[in-house]
Amino acid sequence: MAGWVTIAKWEFFRSKLKFDARSLILLSASLLFLIAASYFAAQTGMNMNNDMYRVALTNPALEPVLGIDQRFNVMTVDVNTASNMYVDDADLVIIDPNVFRADTQKSASASEALKSTLKNYREGVLTSYNDINNSHPVWITVHYLERPEAFQVLSGERRTAAEEETVTTQLSQEEVEAAATGRPAGEVGAEATPSPPQTAEEFQAIQRHNLFEKQTIATPSHFAPPIPFTAILYSFMFIFPIYFVSQFYSSSIMDERTNKKCELVLVAPLRGADIVIGKTVPYILATMVIIAIVTTYIKGLPTDIVTIKSSLLILATMFPIVLLFFAFSFISAILSRSFKELTFAMVFLSVVVSGYLFFPAMFANVHAISTISPMTLIVLLIEGETINMSEYIFSTLPFYFVGLSVYVFGTYIFREEDLFTQKPITQKLLDCVEIFMSKPYGSVFLLSIIFIPFVYMAQLMLIVMLFNLPLPYSVIVMIVLAALIEELVKSIGIYTLFKRKMVSPTLKNAATLAILAGAGFFAGEKLLVIITLAPIATSVFGSVMTMGTLLLIPLMVHITGVMVVSLGMYAISPRWYLPFVLFASILHGLYNLFILRGILFG
Amino acid sequence: MAKQKSNMTLSPRIVMLIAKKEYREVMHERTFILSVLIQLFIASFSTFLVIGLTSFYDPTALGELDMGSTKIAVVGSDESELYLLLQNSDLAPILYGGFSDAYTAFYDRKVDAILIIPDEPPDGYETLDIDIYLPRSDLKATLVSLQLKEPLEKFEQSVRDIRTKRLSGYTPLNLNIVERPTKTSSTYFEFLYVALLPLLVFTPAFISGGLVVDFITEEFERKTLDLLLVSPISLLDVVSGKVLLATIIAPVQAFTWILLLMMNGIMIHNVITILFLVLVTAMILVTFSGIISVMFKERGMAQLFYSLVLIFLFMISYLFTNSPMNLVTRLSIQSIGGLETVIWLGGYSLLAVVLYGGLLRVVEGE
Repeated sequence: MAGWVTIAKWEFFRSKLKFDARSLILLSASLLFLIAASYFAAQTGMNMNNDMYRVALTNPALEPVLGIDQRFNVMTVDVNTASNMYVDDADLVIIDPNVFRADTQKSASASEALKSTLKNYREGVLTSYNDINNSHPVWITVHYLERPEAFQVLSGERRTAAEEETVTTQLSQEEVEAAATGRPAGEVGAEATPSPPQTAEEFQAIQRHNLFEKQTIATPSHFAPPIPFTAILYSFMFIFPIYFVSQFYSSSIMDERTNKKCELVLVAPLRGADIVIGKTVPYILATMVIIAIVTTYIKGLPTDIVTIKSSLLILATMFPIVLLFFAFSFISAILSRSFKELTFAMVFLSVVVSGYLFFPAMFANVHAISTISPMTLIVLLIEGETINMSEYIFSTLPFYFVGLSVYVFGTYIFREEDLFTQKPITQKLLDCVEIFMSKPYGSVFLLSIIFIPFVYMAQLMLIVMLFNLPLPYSVIVMIVLAALIEELVKSIGIYTLFKRKMVSPTLKNAATLAILAGAGFFAGEKLLVIITLAPIATSVFGSVMTMGTLLLIPLMVHITGVMVVSLGMYAISPRWYLPFVLFASILHGLYNLFILRGILFG
Repeated sequence: MAKQKSNMTLSPRIVMLIAKKEYREVMHERTFILSVLIQLFIASFSTFLVIGLTSFYDPTALGELDMGSTKIAVVGSDESELYLLLQNSDLAPILYGGFSDAYTAFYDRKVDAILIIPDEPPDGYETLDIDIYLPRSDLKATLVSLQLKEPLEKFEQSVRDIRTKRLSGYTPLNLNIVERPTKTSSTYFEFLYVALLPLLVFTPAFISGGLVVDFITEEFERKTLDLLLVSPISLLDVVSGKVLLATIIAPVQAFTWILLLMMNGIMIHNVITILFLVLVTAMILVTFSGIISVMFKERGMAQLFYSLVLIFLFMISYLFTNSPMNLVTRLSIQSIGGLETVIWLGGYSLLAVVLYGGLLRVVEGE
């Protein structure tokens, strides 16, 4: 029997022991409290904006109108007091029918808020009449149609089938709708497009469903642009369980290290990989079970084949996310020297990964770029749409790659001399690279390729981080930092080889290794473009990204950068590694700036 | 008995020593830098959202960006009121004779949306159903819907002016807002003071709570506590020292954030009071997580409970006015009176003291 199964069994029983009766009772009690609190919080509209505007009223009849909005702190006073309160003690003074406001930001915001409250009040009153034709006379039905994007850098690749069919033929409204919804023309009017409601009940039913569905029918007052905040809600529901389980997981790994508990397992005839897999599988399984429960909660029990398929697809999309979270927990637990360090490393990595998941998903249904985040696929699946294989690969491949390679590197240093010593983190990281290079398949060429997904994810996160800086500085900083990341990963292998004396630092070696590392990165980058850019190639963002890669492509730049570092270390000493990386990054950055000068300064 | 007694002695000098030791370790391991990085990331992420999304919801926030040129196809009569309203809006409506012409123009990107005006007259008895066709997965769809909203609402209002007269007993509520030069979007203003500011000033407090779990459980799990306890140091000294450090660093970080926001031209009132509130909140969270850690002695469980408690507290903050988050909002924009502030701050301080008492009890029980 495989060794990892034994370890997995141990892990399972050990974690069961931790949950003694007292913990279980406390745990269920706090979960119950939490669920109750969340339930009541959800009823309030989830906003902590209570009483933020002070409003002085003279007409008590208006109190219930403003009372529907918790933002207003209403004081009913007489006209004299009201005019005394004007500007200093109240943000809005309402002396029927006039509303006076101060000339401040807060007061301006308060009056905007008042306008929307009045509108909500009006809609509320009108809805209470069971006479839709007169209370809500205008209805908007929104239809979404495909059409080719304006910019096409990789032209010819994604000319859609729809285009070929429809470009010249004269179509009727029904036929286009049919094409858009995938149904024959005759059925469209019947069910594909919802019709305006006839009764107040139907009207309320429409409004209730808006949170979980793409809005297609609304009155002008309820008409909202397609920006689903629900993406964040889903992400939280799916990601919270991962946070919790990964806490236990990292504690368990750390536990093996404190007091050298793992020593006995390590002397057993087991491979390091067995121990790592055995300790990981139970936690991944537990997380997937929780995610399956959440999925069932959102999608309902899978009864028909369509629901089963989309539920399974949700699980398949969540799996690489779970893998990445756990890989980061694992490596943090191995690298950190204390619990504090572990917590911070984990919080930091979770925040970064969550950012990567949330930020593009905000634009689900708005822009094609959103498919970078697997969360977008989850949102689409929950909304009842289907996803295709290329979208799945595009958004999950970096997760699989980074997750798995982190695990492989972590397993390399799952050995006594790294687990039980207080080695600095940089030394442990070098150990990973050293072991990789000493394997038969180890080479700087392959190492550069392996690091490509890391670079890709890091650069995407940079875009989010640097968004705050004004243009063109954000682009300049982005270019320099992106170059730094690239130079660092290209040369780390060579540095390890020289530093750990695995290769004699001759001129020939330094030059050959530099060419290999540079070429590896170039090859990996090309591969990435082919795999990942296809789904968004037709969008404007896609064209910007392809341009970005196009200008990073020139093989020479990559080799030159790493050559500078390699020869520098040969000429002086590997101790000068970081200064040379900085120097190479500046060169690389300058080259990119030169290429981009037209966009930046012209 | 003798051991229990030594558990409960409290020496300020030793407490300070423990706090200093933890301070040195936190600085040495660069965990503090990582913590600042986390906060920086949250901040930049939030600003990304605030700028990105408010500009979506409120096209005026996009400022100089010229959106007046968006062309849309309109199918229907040129005498209809909706067409006139569209002409007077930011959009450029172009009249087409039929849907297929409009669709060809849409497909050739001559127009970015198609709007079909219904035949039903405003004083008719059936609903007026408007069909709008937008490009899927395109930012244009969002922009066009935003620009369409205003003329559509005006149209709805004018139809309602006619039709709501048929509703018995309905009188529209009319308030006349006297405008002033300063304009702002309430979405932006509220995001800043309701979400961003409270989140930034309290994140250090959240982190401090987690920090204490690690401080304390590490001593238990590495069995270093036993060594400390044979010296004249009591368990209470150790726990208090750690609680003290974790509490104090929260307002320091919060102050940095407030300074940063103020440097960006965001006005924040009552800074001292807000920092005091952060201190008290940090103390509440830190003593709570101290209690949890001493009870469980094991990092995984303690962190799990701390997270659950944190989310629970976060959730109940939605339920009442003057929760710490809400209090920060109201203090920062001067929407709360002096007496109310004193009462609530006093209440939270009392809670912190009671929790510290609870921590004493738990330590005593060990």
